[in-house]
Amino acid sequence: MSVTLTVRERPPARVDASPLTPERCNALNRGRVAGLSLRCGRETVRVGDLFEVGGYVSDRTLTLAGDLHLLDGVGSGMTRGTLTVHGDCGDRVGAGMRGGELTIDGSAGSWAGAGMAGGLLRISGDAGARLGAAFTGARIGMRGGEIVVGGDAGEEAGAGMRRGLVAIGGRAGDGAGLRMLAGTVIALGGLGGDAGIGNKRGTLASGAALGVPPVPRYAFAARFQAPALRLQLLRARALGLTVDDALTDGSWARWSGDFTELGRGEILIFEEGAQ
Amino acid sequence: MSEPFMIGSTQVQDTFAEAFPMRFVRLVITAATDGWAYEAARSATGFATSVIGCKCEAAIERPLPRDETPDGRPGVAMLLFAMDREGLGQRVLDRVGQCVMTCPTTACFDGMQGKADRSVPMGRSLRYFGDGFQASKVIGGLRYWRIPVLSGEFLVAEMVGVGRGVGGGNLIVGADGEDAALAAAEAAVQAMRGSGIALPFPGGIVRSGSKVGSLRSKALPATTNHQLAPTLRAYVPDSLVPEGVGAIFEIVIDGVSEEAVRECTRRGLHAAAAAGATHVTAANFGGKLGPFHFHLSELREPPS
Repeated sequence: MSVTLTVRERPPARVDASPLTPERCNALNRGRVAGLSLRCGRETVRVGDLFEVGGYVSDRTLTLAGDLHLLDGVGSGMTRGTLTVHGDCGDRVGAGMRGGELTIDGSAGSWAGAGMAGGLLRISGDAGARLGAAFTGARIGMRGGEIVVGGDAGEEAGAGMRRGLVAIGGRAGDGAGLRMLAGTVIALGGLGGDAGIGNKRGTLASGAALGVPPVPRYAFAARFQAPALRLQLLRARALGLTVDDALTDGSWARWSGDFTELGRGEILIFEEGAQ
Repeated sequence: MSEPFMIGSTQVQDTFAEAFPMRFVRLVITAATDGWAYEAARSATGFATSVIGCKCEAAIERPLPRDETPDGRPGVAMLLFAMDREGLGQRVLDRVGQCVMTCPTTACFDGMQGKADRSVPMGRSLRYFGDGFQASKVIGGLRYWRIPVLSGEFLVAEMVGVGRGVGGGNLIVGADGEDAALAAAEAAVQAMRGSGIALPFPGGIVRSGSKVGSLRSKALPATTNHQLAPTLRAYVPDSLVPEGVGAIFEIVIDGVSEEAVRECTRRGLHAAAAAGATHVTAANFGGKLGPFHFHLSELREPPS
């Protein structure tokens, strides 16, 4: 059994929940966990003021439950262990994560997995803008690890991404892969507009036809089976995403670009009905 | 030498097969169809019967169904053995580069799934064939290389794990004539093939069993095993061909572990006996060749 923190009632202001990592909480007894400080708006509060602390400190897992809308930074910076969140949470979940497994059984706000360097972030619902992206002012976003989103993602998913996998079960908003260096963003429900602007070597994959062709900085190359993407889709399926066999077995159109950059990036678009 | 013992009507010499340590890799080759996966594996395991003449020994281990391959396509697992890690690494590059990458629709993966302690480069070196147009992806913690080829991309794992295996295990099957001996050897091979085992010779069977060195030349590393050549039985004073035996075949066994080779030998021994072999024995060099000794008398119990 894990340490379980259940929100007593909705906090009066946004809470920086970044101290609530499995490695930190499981190194303490329940009393000390309840005594940890958190920023709540302008105030500093104790964990025990906001949460009911339950469970046992027996393994490397931590569970958060209750109304978590105002909790930002859940699991950010975590390096190991398992953190499970039951409910929707605020911004920056798993941001800067370097290891471990963070599961959000609900939706997450903006900047989820931003600057992530390792580990696994699962979001069963939707994710907000800048999923796995670079923080404002930073050139490099996600540097490793895996993000799996069951629903849709907001604008600029994977912006500035350098390495890793972002797999989105639904649609990705406009501007996915903005100034992407490398890595892979897959949107099974399709990519939004202006995908891949400034992309150097990254891969953007759209499981549905684009409303309009890729931006003119890209050029069509060929249709092929995309063996690496197939492996990534199977990986996403293994991580819990529903991936149709037609996607793994089918043909993908490869558009190369962004030719205003290196031109070594690609947008792969699923060709429905083609084998 | 101890007295022979009987398995059914087959006389089994109470001796042992002697084997030595080798390094191995397990390659998983996948393709769009079973046929192309097999073609690639067949090509990659060609001319790999003996380290003496081929620098490596290799064989198809088993076909893999879609649910056992990394990319969900039909596949074949093959085992490649060499005496040391460096040599093994070069053979991997030669064979994957020339026989797998060239074969339509294939991809090549590490059959050890990154669990081996040591590894040798595969895609890390082969990527240069991409002439700068190659790209890599890290998927599930393992790096793969995408090498552009004429029909799309060849996907290959960056590294392949190296295991410590056993090479040179053997079983020698004899009968009164060539047809009977071959039938017994074929039955043995059928029983011996399986997970963790490579039988590197054609069809798993050797008809030109050798001895180390030569009676007449210092330049020859290996020459015919005259002691087991039936046509020389009346001519050479030290012939080991039993009376009534007109043909002998050897089955050489490489395995991923001592236990794998032992159980493989057991399966072969009993299958050969059941298929009409009149004599079964094994080759050794008095314990000087290697530390692994598979005593046939310890394999009397049939496989479970």
